[in-house]
Amino acid sequence: MIDVSGLPSPKNAPAVGACVRIERPEKGLARIVLDPPHRSLPVFDLPLLRDLDLALIEIERDTSIKGLVITGRDTRTFAAGADIDAIAALTDRESVARVVEIGQNLFERIDVIGATRPGFTSVAAIGGAAPGGACELALACSFVILCDTKESRIGLPETQLGIVPGWGGTTRLPRRIGLPRALEAILTGKLYPAREALKKGLVDRLCAPEDLLRIAGEVALGRMRLPRRSRGLATLFVDQNPLAAAVIASKAKEQVMARTLGKYPAPLRAIDIAARAARTSTRASFTAEREAVVDLATGPVAKNLIRIFGLSESAKKLKLLPDGKSAPVAAQVGVLGAGVMGRAIASSAAERGAWTRLFDIVPAALDTALIEHRADVAERLKRRKLEKNQAERAIDQLDTTRELIGFARCELVIEAVAERLDVKRSVFQALARQMADDAILATNTSSLSVDAIAADIPHPERVVGLHFFNPVKRMPLVEIVRGARTSPETIARCAAFALALGKTPVVTKDCAGFLVNRLLGPYLDESLRLFAGGIEAGRLDRALLEFGMPMGPLALLDEVGFDIAQHAAQSLHAAYGARMTPSAVLNPLVAEKRLGKKTGRGFYEHTRDRKAKPRLAADLAQIDPAGEARCPVMTDEQIAERAVFAMLAEAARALEENVVASARDLDLATVFGMGFAPFRGGLLAWADTLGARNIVAKLEEISRQSDVAARAGGPERFEPCALLRELARDERTFHGA
Amino acid sequence: MSRVPTQSPGRRVVIVAGWRTPLIRAGGAFAREDAGHLGAAIARETIARSGIRVDDIDEVIVGCAGPPHDQANVGRVIGLRAGVPERVPGRTVARNCASGMEAITSAATCIEAGRGDLYLTLGVEMMSRFPLIMGERLTKFFARLSSARTLAARVATIASLRPSMLAPRIALMEGLTDPISGLIMGKTAEILAREWSISREDADRFALESHARAKAARDAGVMKREIVPHLPLGATPDSHALEHDDAIRDNQTLEQLAKLKPYFEKPDGRVTVGNSCGITDGACALILASEDKARALGLTPLARIRSWSYAGLDPARMGLGPVFAASKALREAGATMDDIGPIEINEAFAAQVLACAKAFDSDAFAREHLERDAKLGTLDMARVNPNGGAVAIGHPVGCTGARIVLTAAHELARSQKELALASLCIGGGQGGAVILERAS
Repeated sequence: MIDVSGLPSPKNAPAVGACVRIERPEKGLARIVLDPPHRSLPVFDLPLLRDLDLALIEIERDTSIKGLVITGRDTRTFAAGADIDAIAALTDRESVARVVEIGQNLFERIDVIGATRPGFTSVAAIGGAAPGGACELALACSFVILCDTKESRIGLPETQLGIVPGWGGTTRLPRRIGLPRALEAILTGKLYPAREALKKGLVDRLCAPEDLLRIAGEVALGRMRLPRRSRGLATLFVDQNPLAAAVIASKAKEQVMARTLGKYPAPLRAIDIAARAARTSTRASFTAEREAVVDLATGPVAKNLIRIFGLSESAKKLKLLPDGKSAPVAAQVGVLGAGVMGRAIASSAAERGAWTRLFDIVPAALDTALIEHRADVAERLKRRKLEKNQAERAIDQLDTTRELIGFARCELVIEAVAERLDVKRSVFQALARQMADDAILATNTSSLSVDAIAADIPHPERVVGLHFFNPVKRMPLVEIVRGARTSPETIARCAAFALALGKTPVVTKDCAGFLVNRLLGPYLDESLRLFAGGIEAGRLDRALLEFGMPMGPLALLDEVGFDIAQHAAQSLHAAYGARMTPSAVLNPLVAEKRLGKKTGRGFYEHTRDRKAKPRLAADLAQIDPAGEARCPVMTDEQIAERAVFAMLAEAARALEENVVASARDLDLATVFGMGFAPFRGGLLAWADTLGARNIVAKLEEISRQSDVAARAGGPERFEPCALLRELARDERTFHGA
Repeated sequence: MSRVPTQSPGRRVVIVAGWRTPLIRAGGAFAREDAGHLGAAIARETIARSGIRVDDIDEVIVGCAGPPHDQANVGRVIGLRAGVPERVPGRTVARNCASGMEAITSAATCIEAGRGDLYLTLGVEMMSRFPLIMGERLTKFFARLSSARTLAARVATIASLRPSMLAPRIALMEGLTDPISGLIMGKTAEILAREWSISREDADRFALESHARAKAARDAGVMKREIVPHLPLGATPDSHALEHDDAIRDNQTLEQLAKLKPYFEKPDGRVTVGNSCGITDGACALILASEDKARALGLTPLARIRSWSYAGLDPARMGLGPVFAASKALREAGATMDDIGPIEINEAFAAQVLACAKAFDSDAFAREHLERDAKLGTLDMARVNPNGGAVAIGHPVGCTGARIVLTAAHELARSQKELALASLCIGGGQGGAVILERAS
């Protein structure tokens, strides 16, 4: 029996042997069923590993068994991989090494039985998702059979969580499907749908769920033969050729470095192991896997990535109604306003299966919306993200109207009309007359108050903010803005809708800028002031990229559009006063209609060619600094700190005011809403590594700097709030109790 | 004397909503649509605007003369594409040119019989999508090719291919030819023109007027009451939704019409492409309900269906179908032509409508063919197709029957009379007529 003492195990772990059962449907055939009673979705926690060990002991002893099928409790459930929470909890290297070793050895024994018992065949029979550890178990079997259903998914997402597949996956996958495809799977962490998994060679056969156990049994007993996958000469010339493997590995590393700037060690470690997998012994490769997991899992990046994964998973609970059931997802949706936001929201809703009705008074805007939607769907069809019939349905599901009629049956309407209170109120009034009393009226406003919009609408409990970010299809966060009278049911239904769109919801209070824009405001404005104060634009953007932001602040301003940014800054100023005083540097640019990407020029020159990297505009030196004082001499790090601390000071205030429920929510919003360095775990997680006392000291230092001290609102922006001072005094953290 | 059906109170049938796409020249902007998508688009809009719940629909009935080969029961496809629940059945009905009317009257029959209370009905036709068909010789060639076993046999088979075998059969032309009389529709109109002394100029003048009326109605915005703008599938970037019927000729003159050569009977025929219906694509949806159901759902009826009838006649003179059908429908309604306000007679051919007008006005015809002692009545041509007709806006075969009922319903609401007539001739020798009554 394996020794699990001292390793983390769930509190409700069942009795020994309860998680796995062995069925013997016929002579010579054994079926191992993963069915832990304490998990609705089985994970390879210690009780399951322990019982799998017992089951394998039985198989090893009983030499009459010639065929082994490993399957889940039903054809929609296999297992969700390793116990992520347990891994996150481990801090000592030795424990991690033991957990890795337990899994490696267990799975390897399946392989060993096959090698030592003549005629023995093992088959993984999978329906539903098989990510990570579950996939690694499958790879240890002779054959993998996957149900041809849309729930079926298989892959190795470990690198996305900052570790490498450590239960033999990094070793076995390159041997099975060749190095190039294995690297693609491991580095993207993609969970492949059934057809694609078959094509890539991750699985050997697909079948209907009803046939799964029968066919798996036939294959295990050798009555049905599956072709052995062979890469033919490619095995020799590519996978086992040190030169070819080295070239592939170095190319892959180059791409990873370009994407991550070396902030994420896991993909690099995975490349090293995978590139040697076909040429080294299993034992040596397993040792390399183990060492990598030990280093990575005990390091900060994996902890942060796993934490964020956990946060995004718990955001899914927002869709639960007060009675604990999941809120229904709106099947009929209305969107008002076919501007950039409205039409993208409508298109996403239609693509994700809601009957969607889009209103605008401008016919051409509706035409553009339909044409863009159809082009998007055609693109997704081309990339095989959608089947033909799904694409046709997605196209059918978006209708447009020039009149505000026909919304009676919508369960949810999202308005994205002009940012004017009177306009928004009048469309909601008109809708309230034709829609059901419990139909949700959501506003995508970014600068108006939800309560003000809801003021005289009948049944204000169904009025809510649903704040999407631009570009809607790429930005994963949705802020659900709770007005003073918004009901919990409305929040849950909005969360269910956001989740159905593949977004991560976070609930915020109804304050100016809500959360993300409120934080972005000082961050972008501070960046503009650095630029105006003489910091070279390219250096500024690079400094923040280096910090871990997904794009530099000036590049982001180009994406957002200067007019939009200016408007947002002004409304923050109006709401929060001095500390949000906007820099004047954009004013002349807006006046001459130089607005960023949408006009072709901002801080960068944008060409129509999508692949071309935008270049810095040549005339940046001529931009008027708008009276900004010269910045002192700063290091790149100090530049990044200035911008990020402006945001951090505001985040502390927002938390103090309960704009979001917790520091966890705030971190989630920063990562998903602005791409705040995921490897740092979110803004406040990063702040906690610095310590409140250091933060206060740093903020005070910044506000004393000559350029900050000299300008209106400068010291106020960097003034530590009461919460921050309290944390510093008590030596507590944002995330501490 | 034919049987006169009676409607029981509460099972009277009302039209609660109806909308259509613009009718667009075949091969034009709608060419990349298909009947399933186009029909579903107008169905969704009609459902949304009516405010009904899709769960209340009892059945979807779609009229289509030539369903796409991959959507034999296009009615079912339209229902599902329109978001009608899967449990609600859908069927496709056909009565050639009256297919759209057949959808309406089928639903009305069901409502009267108490089989259901709320029906989504459509007429749809994608004339652009009538295919070219391989000729018989080419079909046989492919059959031989696929059965040729040896290389030599295959080479020999391929060598037997002749250019003449490649000539396709045009499904649309064959579809517009009546197999019983062997006449293409235009020839039946020529027969009527000769027998009823309709001159080429009469027909051309009628055509000119049809365009003028359609243009006037369009320019006055009258058609906004029934047309929903539609951006077709395949629309290229920067293109715009179509708002108007696009076959109307704004600057049509008598001289231009006179220059056209007879299309079906050269050189002396009177029927030209200028005084015949155009070939267009389009779809029209109506929601029908029992009067009780409409009341219960708080729906405001557009019109009530008072009676309807189909009649058969000589296929070679199918153009007179409206006279036969109107006679029966009036009898069922217990009404005379004096009670009728607006009239729609589908303009398959200008000469055919003019022949109908003469037959309406003929005592002899009434005695010989209509079991009546005296003529049906003189038509006031100002009230016939007041917004123009198929000569101007075209005749998407399966759509038209629904379209003229919708147009007549709107015209009735504008008129002082209590009844309206919508009728059409049907290829193969039939007529169809629906009499609408002002909804109280």
